[in-house]
Amino acid sequence: MESVTHLPGLSAVMIWTLLKVLIVFSAVMGIASLWTWVERRGSAMLQDRIGPNRALLFGRWQLLGLPQLVADGIKFFFKEDQVPPHVTKSLYWLAPVLAFVPALIGFAVIPFGRDFTYKGVPYHLSILEPGNSMGMLFPLAIGAVAVYGILVAAWSSNNKWAILGGMRASAQMVSYEISLGLAVLAIFMKVGGYDPSEIIKDQMASGWFIWRQPLGFLVFFTCMFAESNRLPFDFAEGEAEIVGFHNEYGSMKFALIALSEYGHIITASALIATLYFGGWAVPFMPEAPVLLTILFFLIKLLFFLWVFVWVRWTLPRFRYDQLMFLGWKVLLPISMANLIFNAWLMSRGH
Amino acid sequence: MGVIVKKVELTWLDRSYVWPIAQGMIITFRHFLKQIATPTSKRFTIQYPDMKKTLPKGYRGLHELKRFEDGAIKCVACFMCQEACPARCISIEAEEFSELNFTQGFEEKRPSVFKIDMLRCIYCGMCEEACPKDAIWLRNEYEVAAYDRLSMNYGKWDLINTYAGADGKARLTQSQESPATPSRPASTSGNQAGPS
Repeated sequence: MESVTHLPGLSAVMIWTLLKVLIVFSAVMGIASLWTWVERRGSAMLQDRIGPNRALLFGRWQLLGLPQLVADGIKFFFKEDQVPPHVTKSLYWLAPVLAFVPALIGFAVIPFGRDFTYKGVPYHLSILEPGNSMGMLFPLAIGAVAVYGILVAAWSSNNKWAILGGMRASAQMVSYEISLGLAVLAIFMKVGGYDPSEIIKDQMASGWFIWRQPLGFLVFFTCMFAESNRLPFDFAEGEAEIVGFHNEYGSMKFALIALSEYGHIITASALIATLYFGGWAVPFMPEAPVLLTILFFLIKLLFFLWVFVWVRWTLPRFRYDQLMFLGWKVLLPISMANLIFNAWLMSRGH
Repeated sequence: MGVIVKKVELTWLDRSYVWPIAQGMIITFRHFLKQIATPTSKRFTIQYPDMKKTLPKGYRGLHELKRFEDGAIKCVACFMCQEACPARCISIEAEEFSELNFTQGFEEKRPSVFKIDMLRCIYCGMCEEACPKDAIWLRNEYEVAAYDRLSMNYGKWDLINTYAGADGKARLTQSQESPATPSRPASTSGNQAGPS
């Protein structure tokens, strides 16, 4: 790394940061596009079907249907980019970006491996260094911003079905955010800080939070489904109906919106893994090698990604009033009770 | 008289959502494992152009006009099938042939034109039932398609040779149950390979 540091204006820290951004971005994008395949093949297997297997690479290799990704990409790129005449042009073009960017940058604070020291210089495996005073608040805040992507897409479409879908989705995301925040608050309270590396260290010291706060996990997990607009809470898309915020979108703009959903579930899985399953912590190995910690983080991440797919093809969608009932009358009291119970426990400890 | 609807009393475990969801997920995951462990050729999906379902006996597909061993058509142009046809898709014109007999006129009768409009046919098998000579059969070919209406009008020679080989004779000796494409029987004991 020293050999490139003499380049003007580039320090080792900057290069390291750039490298991390590059790695994380490509990894997230790679997993997101791969997961469109997992979703389709996996759902087929869950439902005793076969799934896409007709696209062949160079007309020859079937590769379990993976060429379908390439075929879809080519199709999305070369499709006519139709803009309906009745949309508000500027917002219509902005909305896919608004949906896509928050889905990606939420990942920035999440540590994906153990810190290590190389030649006396400490390196941290997360894009934003620990101690940046944002910590876990950052992905939560970014998750809240994601509502704008949906709402702007719906509103600029000037289509009543799109507006209906967008309104339902934004109401859903806003109402589940409260329970989400309260569930995470119990963790912040226990740890005494909201930096993800602190949270992971605390979990390594005294057990994963899934064992210490199972109720909080349940609330957080459910809210993550609602936040990422996945079934059983897919009111944004409503794929079984025509009510959905991206009704008027086609070609690459639609692909961006669809990919942003996968970006959301990647961030959600990373959050679940970090908050409740010890992040990169390897069970029973406090001093695990760095690569092993990265591998364990990846395993946890992919497992929860799979759970997202698995749940989607198991549960039917909630009715809208059931959704609101669950959000306000079930999850909110539970998360409050969880918070107060944990506070009580801590007060007894003193 | 109303139907008495039994009200299901849900236990607190059922009402917790969590346990029923877990049960459902176990069920779907069992399906997942089973489906992944099954080779593609044995899965429920029959991948149509590559695999074909073995049809049950008595399937009513495309018609065939049967012939005698020497190749002469069995049909005697009695118009029974035309009368029986509910879709009115059969049209026959008769002709007389073979030696002139001075007392009875011609000895034999046969169709000069035997047309079935496959667009109108409903494959009900009434013609097969009505035929006194067992000359028209509905068999297992079902891929009846064409680019224009005229080609869906099957004539006598089309119908005679529907299931014939290239030389027009193969069918006389060939056994009927040998589909050329890999297929899977309706039961689960198939073993043919298809693309995965």
